[in-house]
Amino acid sequence: MVTNADLLALEGKPGNFTAKLNIRPRYIDADACTACGLCTQYCPKHHVDPYNEGLAITRPIHIDYAQAVPATYYIDPSSCMYLQHDTCQICVPVCQSHAINFNQKPEARDLKIGAVILSPGFGKIAPETLEKYGYGKHPDIVTAFEYERMTTASGPFLGEIKCFSDGRHPKSMAFIQCVGSRDIGCNNGYCSSVCCMYAIKEALVTKEHDPDVDITIYYMDIRTQGKDFDAARERAEAIGIKFVRAKVADVTPWENHLKLTYSTLDGQHKFESHDMVVLSVGLESPKDAEKIADITKIDLNHYNFCKTDTFSPLQTSQEGIVVAGAFQGPKDIPESVTQSSGAASLASSVLKQQRGKGTVSKEYPEELVVTDDDEVRIGVFVCHCGINISSVVDCPEVAEDAGGMENVTYYTENLYSCSQDAQEQIKNTIKEKKLNRVVIAACSPRTHEPLFQETLKDAGLNRNLFEMVNIRDQCSWVHANEPEEATAKSKDLVRMAVSKAAHIQPLPEQTVPVTPKAVVLGGGVAGMTAALSLADQGFDSVIVEKSAKIGGNLQNLKNTLAGDEVAGYLKTLTDNVKKSKRIDVITDGRLAQTSGFVGNFASVIESGKGTKKKELTVDHGVIVVATGGHEHRPDKYLLGKSKKVLTQQELEKQLAGRAKNRAPDSIVMIQCAGSRGDDLNYCSKVCCNHAIKNILKIKEINPASQIIVLYRDMRTYGYAEDAYLEARKKGVIFIPYEVDRKPEVSQKSGKVQVDFFDSIMQEEVSFNPDLVALSVGVVPDGTAELSKMLKLPVTANGFFLEAHVKLRPVELAVEGVYVCGLAHGPKPVDETIVQAQAAAAKAAIPLVKGYVKVDPIVSSVEKDACIGCGICVSLCPYGAIQMIKVDKKRKAETISASCKACGICASHCPTFAISMGGFTNEQLVSQIEAFGNKKVEEKVVA
Amino acid sequence: MSENTFSPKILGFLCNWCCYAAADAAGVSRFQYPPNLRTIRVMCTGRIDPSFVLKGFLEGADAIFSGG
Amino acid sequence: MGKAILHREGAVMILGGGIAGIQAALDMTELGYYVYLVEKSAAVGGVMAQLDKTFPTNDCSL
Repeated sequence: MVTNADLLALEGKPGNFTAKLNIRPRYIDADACTACGLCTQYCPKHHVDPYNEGLAITRPIHIDYAQAVPATYYIDPSSCMYLQHDTCQICVPVCQSHAINFNQKPEARDLKIGAVILSPGFGKIAPETLEKYGYGKHPDIVTAFEYERMTTASGPFLGEIKCFSDGRHPKSMAFIQCVGSRDIGCNNGYCSSVCCMYAIKEALVTKEHDPDVDITIYYMDIRTQGKDFDAARERAEAIGIKFVRAKVADVTPWENHLKLTYSTLDGQHKFESHDMVVLSVGLESPKDAEKIADITKIDLNHYNFCKTDTFSPLQTSQEGIVVAGAFQGPKDIPESVTQSSGAASLASSVLKQQRGKGTVSKEYPEELVVTDDDEVRIGVFVCHCGINISSVVDCPEVAEDAGGMENVTYYTENLYSCSQDAQEQIKNTIKEKKLNRVVIAACSPRTHEPLFQETLKDAGLNRNLFEMVNIRDQCSWVHANEPEEATAKSKDLVRMAVSKAAHIQPLPEQTVPVTPKAVVLGGGVAGMTAALSLADQGFDSVIVEKSAKIGGNLQNLKNTLAGDEVAGYLKTLTDNVKKSKRIDVITDGRLAQTSGFVGNFASVIESGKGTKKKELTVDHGVIVVATGGHEHRPDKYLLGKSKKVLTQQELEKQLAGRAKNRAPDSIVMIQCAGSRGDDLNYCSKVCCNHAIKNILKIKEINPASQIIVLYRDMRTYGYAEDAYLEARKKGVIFIPYEVDRKPEVSQKSGKVQVDFFDSIMQEEVSFNPDLVALSVGVVPDGTAELSKMLKLPVTANGFFLEAHVKLRPVELAVEGVYVCGLAHGPKPVDETIVQAQAAAAKAAIPLVKGYVKVDPIVSSVEKDACIGCGICVSLCPYGAIQMIKVDKKRKAETISASCKACGICASHCPTFAISMGGFTNEQLVSQIEAFGNKKVEEKVVA
Repeated sequence: MSENTFSPKILGFLCNWCCYAAADAAGVSRFQYPPNLRTIRVMCTGRIDPSFVLKGFLEGADAIFSGG
Repeated sequence: MGKAILHREGAVMILGGGIAGIQAALDMTELGYYVYLVEKSAAVGGVMAQLDKTFPTNDCSL
């Protein structure tokens, strides 16, 4: 990790680049800094805090936020008194660990690298654009980024929302959407794709703070097209957040309020007063986009984002350089995370020859054998954490108290237990005092347990012979004004830990080998891309396709919205799959059965029909689910009953034909036909783009064609907004309809008639078009069956539910199973390709390692005590317990690699046959007993 | 003598992934709360055997807190 | 000032330490490559670290 660094130059070719960096000094020695924060307290100079969007003041010497990585303070030279005026230096003597070093100089560094991933993020909308909405003229007009910091509990105002003008709590708030997006005035014609979501989120958060506050969101289209995003919008409406479809012209101060002037669709101008106005600012291309493009020689698009194309969405114009995140185009967190994994997949194929050569592996001393017969020798280390703990808790007293406890052979205190020298000291003490259990009272095991466990390993102790007591985050920090009680609490917690420690046992490190092969379910673009990415990284896979031919939905498409021809791409893709020596394709195939766990699956695949039916068993390490979806066919709007009513996909086919009348003179398109609360409860994300694509094709064939689009929200997010604008410019009429006033389609004497309410002219309209096209949405294929077989959860809408919607978007709840494409949720082809590449990267991880490590805190079954009742099997949320036969008796057995250590099995086992590593009944009971030991009665102060 | 002399002993079982994490976050934000809670970290509240709760009461807890 | 030249086989440079860069770095490490994560500010995390909660679940983002 190289922070404070600028890229100056990049030379070379894929596999062999040289990057020249300039590393700016932090003026603080990162290894010595303990992030105690004393320096910031003493620093006399103020510094506007960019982390808090300038809403707070910090000091030149600071850390952006407590969890920052690296957890090292730094000095911002722009406001430091010493670096600017050669005075002060008060921080130097204040720092107890002598970390401050004003002699640091900028450092030049060359990196030899094989591939580059660009992820510089996004930039901010220019102030001139914000000024159009009065930003800067009145303090109560804020950007959504500023507002985010204002609502944050750990932010500068501790989450209290106040008007900057006079400190009152706002009772009426407005969010203005599309500030700096969909605005050709500032050359940002694109939709930023995130603002609708964050505005709704911030509005919901505001309502949590104060349910009485009145919130209005002024919007053109609400674009909550992401998976399950519409539900949040509905939740917002349900709790009274108002959505007004309008263009805001202007915001002006008016007495102590703000006056919004806006125009609604029907052409009316209206005014509304609000206490506070939040500007939902869009995402701009990064400030240094041009510089990056210059250095790396990649092409940018007309909005200064990185240029890529639909079928290779992460590949820049330079080989060996890939892109991920908002620099590829404005996008939200899950999309970014997915792109990152996809980019890793691409970079990995560039570098596969060099894989594993640059990584470092560490060696450990042989592990000391600790058995039940050995005397328990516990060492207790009490950390001061600088003054973080010791300013509240009496550390010497806690340590001394620990010294008097049973089994404790050694106790001491550290200024910082986590510091390099303390680690050495702990290691030496373990050896010298022959300690076989270590208890450290410091901060949270969630952050520091791995570090100390590493120390134990270095000292030759099994890493599980360790227990951590949290006397900082959960004691000194939260009881700052009650030092005596905090000290008493620390003693109790230490006693409980010592008591547990006496019962902890070394747990063996378990590893399970991996079969380096993938089964890919589905032979559409997602499945094929995933298999090809795996092949590029050097792994075999088997594609199981249920139909007679690979290709999937792409076979029904002619062009993409960006104009790329689909058939050619599909042919290349299928040819590559067929050519690849690493990919086997089974058509007419079906997954009949799967058993095993990550690294060691065995699947039975059936193929063929009737007499040709075959069964094949495949051993494999991972599964990629790419089972896809298909166009929904709602029983509405005369679909299937009239020849003049088509779906968008059918229309696309007709438009690609040769008949002269293939683009009729008048067409009505109905969006959300059967979607968003109708047959389907969700937005299918692709239909708006699909409609626009067909519209432009129609206009190309028959420019005079009259087209009316009846829609709820046009969700042409990202660059698709350009095409939407083009359609409008070509005279296509877009009319929104309300969900309680849907258009109606009827048939009279061979003519179709569409009746709808024209919300622009405010009148009922009847129209007899030549054709009606329905945007019908996407439904997943066979997820119910597969979900049962593989124990994979699905959402209420029948799509597979990812392990974490933000951070693990292609992994599923069962380890070793990954998802991509329409099986995960409706999405366009470029997002499907990225997701498939991401799934391939994630799937490759266990395959590269060759083994899966099992955290030893998993459950284990004592076979003699098990009565084979099977309660644990039915309760396990991860499918990690199976029943086996031992001497003709049913017994439970843990599949360690799948176990997540939740302990549900152990707590429900009627015979206490199941135990959890590191959390045994014995250990927890002794901890509870130690809790009872306390003579609290005496402590009650009268 | 103050009226609120009752200072309960509370034993808490905190899930490593959510409640324990939240308790850490409370610390990071320096939220202050009464020091009556003694916690035991578990990997999931599913681990809590009903007997642990009873045992806690037997050991003199006035209340048991389970956070997950 | 001396110039440090770092050379490792199978290394990748990731420019930008926001959520995208961090995720790419984690994945590349797991895939067996050495990663240089190059960030222009003093800490990685990017904009996501500034967020309080995330849409649509309003989970904590840190």
